[in-house]
Amino acid sequence: MKSWMYAMLVGLLFALSIQATETNKAVVVYDDKATEVGAAKLSPAKPNDLWITLADLKTATGFANKPQGVCRDELCFPLPKKRRAEFLQTQSKMTWFNLTEFARLLKQPVAQDAEHATWYFGLRPEVQNSYTNNFKAPNFTLPDKNGKLHSLSDFRGKKVLIVTWASW
Amino acid sequence: MKNQNFEIISIAEDTGGVKAAAPWIEAGKVEYTVLVDKQHVVTRLYNMVNVPTAVWINEQGRIVRPNEVAYSNNKGMSVTKVDTEPWINGLRDWVKNGEKSAFAMSEAELRERVKPQNPDWALASAEFGLAEYLYQAGQGEAAIPHYKEAQRLNPESWNFKRQAWALSSSKDKYGTTFTDEVKKLNGKPYYEPHRLPPVKK
Repeated sequence: MKSWMYAMLVGLLFALSIQATETNKAVVVYDDKATEVGAAKLSPAKPNDLWITLADLKTATGFANKPQGVCRDELCFPLPKKRRAEFLQTQSKMTWFNLTEFARLLKQPVAQDAEHATWYFGLRPEVQNSYTNNFKAPNFTLPDKNGKLHSLSDFRGKKVLIVTWASW
Repeated sequence: MKNQNFEIISIAEDTGGVKAAAPWIEAGKVEYTVLVDKQHVVTRLYNMVNVPTAVWINEQGRIVRPNEVAYSNNKGMSVTKVDTEPWINGLRDWVKNGEKSAFAMSEAELRERVKPQNPDWALASAEFGLAEYLYQAGQGEAAIPHYKEAQRLNPESWNFKRQAWALSSSKDKYGTTFTDEVKKLNGKPYYEPHRLPPVKK
């Protein structure tokens, strides 16, 4: 076989393998930030599980796959070694990550709208329940009506009364 | 209560954002910090189930009194059945006396009142968050089943009900209205009254 034919064949196989992982557009809302991702279905038994590429994982959630676990800054969640394949799979020369299984591992609530291919990842328990142990008021950052951002932590050193209200 | 190292942060829990909250902000002519929380972040983060809800936080960022009813006056008392006067006096006392105030809760009192969220409530928050996202993405109809799921999973949350009802014709879409639901309470207070320490004479 001539080398150019060989090169073409390799190219063709590569192109086929890329197509082998079927992806659909999906929206991931994580920490209340929405990101459009390519979603693959790699768990036949759990068809609603959302598999995304590591690049999309980083963009949508800030988390990255590292030797010590799935991490964002100081925060690191080790994956159970024996169940690694439930979280990470390599297909079409891409590594895919099961964000739904990761949420199950962390006991993070997930709401899904199948028709609009939207997955909403709620507050992780370590965020949601931190203050029920140490009573440290959870921080938040919100805009005023002119769009200027204010954080609760800006008020440290003062007594603060938070009052919520609504127009409804 | 000025010049006592004390600040008020007033937060509008409004999916409609500034548009919905602005007339109220103007009408109040408020001097304290007013923030707009389109995504109900604070509701979900602090497990709030009603408005107005207050949290007292000390200089170190620690909760001194968790979620409780926070009417600023007694104008609506015939409906609310909550006398807010003792609570406001308690607030003044804490601003003046800090941790020595009888209204600043002990660790044991806080433990009794602040409970970790149960999984249903956590999921309710996620369903509500998804509904908010869909609504704000222009998918109001698609949001409704998720608002309903949030209401089913956390029936105690008036926030999840009232915000959803306000975004569409609640009679048509949810088969009820706020007025109907308050009638069903049969005279019971719509918002749990304060539990305050007895006032020393």
